[in-house]
Amino acid sequence: MTSLIAQNVTLRRGRRTVLGGADFELRPGELVLLAGRNGAGKSTLLRLLVGAIRPDDGLVALDQRPLAVWDPLERARELAFVEQNAETPFEFTGRELVAMGRYPHRPRAKTPHPDDLVAIENALTAVDAMAFCDRPVTTLSGGEQRRITIARALATQAPLLLLDEPTANLDLEHALQLVELLRQLADRGHGITLASHDLNLLAPHCDRVALLHEGRIIASGPPQQTLSTARIREVFGVRATDPDGYFPRRFER
Amino acid sequence: MSHAPRTVLGGVFALLAIVALVYLTVGSGPGFSELLAFCGGRADQADTFTIANIRIPRLIVATFAGAALALAGATMQATFRNPLASPDVIGTSAGAAFGGALAIVTAIAGVGILAVPISSFVGAVVVTAMVFLLAGSYGRFSVASLLLAGIALNTLVGALTSFVVTFTFDNYTASSRVLFWLMGGLENRTWEHAGITAIGFFVFALGIVPRARMLDLLTIGDDGAQSLGVDAQRVRKQLLWFACGLTATTVSNTGGIAFVGLIVPHLARLVVGPAHRVLLPVAAAMGALLLVASDLLCRAVPPDANLRLGVVTAILGAPYFLFLLARHRRGEAL
Repeated sequence: MTSLIAQNVTLRRGRRTVLGGADFELRPGELVLLAGRNGAGKSTLLRLLVGAIRPDDGLVALDQRPLAVWDPLERARELAFVEQNAETPFEFTGRELVAMGRYPHRPRAKTPHPDDLVAIENALTAVDAMAFCDRPVTTLSGGEQRRITIARALATQAPLLLLDEPTANLDLEHALQLVELLRQLADRGHGITLASHDLNLLAPHCDRVALLHEGRIIASGPPQQTLSTARIREVFGVRATDPDGYFPRRFER
Repeated sequence: MSHAPRTVLGGVFALLAIVALVYLTVGSGPGFSELLAFCGGRADQADTFTIANIRIPRLIVATFAGAALALAGATMQATFRNPLASPDVIGTSAGAAFGGALAIVTAIAGVGILAVPISSFVGAVVVTAMVFLLAGSYGRFSVASLLLAGIALNTLVGALTSFVVTFTFDNYTASSRVLFWLMGGLENRTWEHAGITAIGFFVFALGIVPRARMLDLLTIGDDGAQSLGVDAQRVRKQLLWFACGLTATTVSNTGGIAFVGLIVPHLARLVVGPAHRVLLPVAAAMGALLLVASDLLCRAVPPDANLRLGVVTAILGAPYFLFLLARHRRGEAL
């Protein structure tokens, strides 16, 4: 199965170093939480991992081949992305947007193949979007739009999945539903990384937490160990009042 | 909301055929019976000349100019992810007009029949590239920044065009030719113009129509499109080249015709929805219909009223902006 590796990636924006030698690995079957402060570079790291931007230094490799040498459509069938600000100014229906997830499989198809229809239907069901998927996305709430974008990524049927703040805008029920869905996908062999601030909700379900701080991954491992009181103080500058290894944690300034 | 695309396309083509038929019979000279005689090869020489060498070329220019502007508008709206983008709003048309005017007042126009279109194309590309660089950041073109860049460049290029035109004031024929052309109109179109407009349309449309699904993907944003295997930045540039080509071949043959490129894609989206595989052909057909009907109106009013085509389409544009404003006030996205 496919794995995704970033080795020593560096990215500069002008004089600012956003990432300075970050290492990251995503293997099949694991659910990884990428955590860090605002502006730590979580989104940037995800965009590097999906190939939307190239590192100034270091290497991103998918299935042991540099990401840059992959055919874009072939890569899109292996690696799906849920971006943070997915919005279109035009009145596509949710179903039409999810159907775009089938583009990497049949870019020139005039009409959807039966496989496409099954994938679209499954993706919509998985995010509980059947009730509103035929409405224009411009009329949907932020959370509903988010679920459509996640369904679009699921429709690619890619084994690896990167999600940027997937629970932002989601109510508790749908946030939990999403986490359970991602857990199930991971148990069935998908490799999933999600960048999020929602430690209490997500960390207990994840196999691993990777902490991004000052441009590098400073720790990566099981949630209880990685999110220790000491590291939470170092990375987030807050005090975790409960003993290590307990979720939900209580935080104080 | 969206209707069956085949039905819509069939309906628009049927209307276009009817309007075209009326178009060929209106005006001083041959009427319906003479047109029938022409079709049977029995028309007299004067009527045959009027129909074959005046009306049909003008009809062809109107048809393909309308189709090209609508297609260029639909392409620009998707590539800029902005429903207010169109050749006239962002300044592509003004750039093409400037290039054309420059070619007419200098001796370049005399070089060959493609001199004005090519000069227009250069003007269109330069202005579009400037908007692209000024208004965009990381693949995002906000409504505000695109409009501001468009206003700035329209003003600048308009001023430059006026400056160029004043060069020709000592030469009455040249200056009236340029002014008349700048106002937009289809008078005295020959088979040469018809040929360039039609061939230009097919050449550049062939660059855009096969990329219909890429246009869909561009509207979701660069990161989304890229993750689905579309090189958003490269495809956007390619598509803008083709949109510039459509604008330039049209403007160089008809002068400035406002608002077709802006309005028609919206109307088409209201009828068939935003998916470009369907939207592009419907928008092109509706653009052709709108321009042929507008030009029919120009020709139907008494000749001394001298109603200009650019004036008719501009009058259609104003209520459209009011419609957008009303929508915006209801809190809907532009």
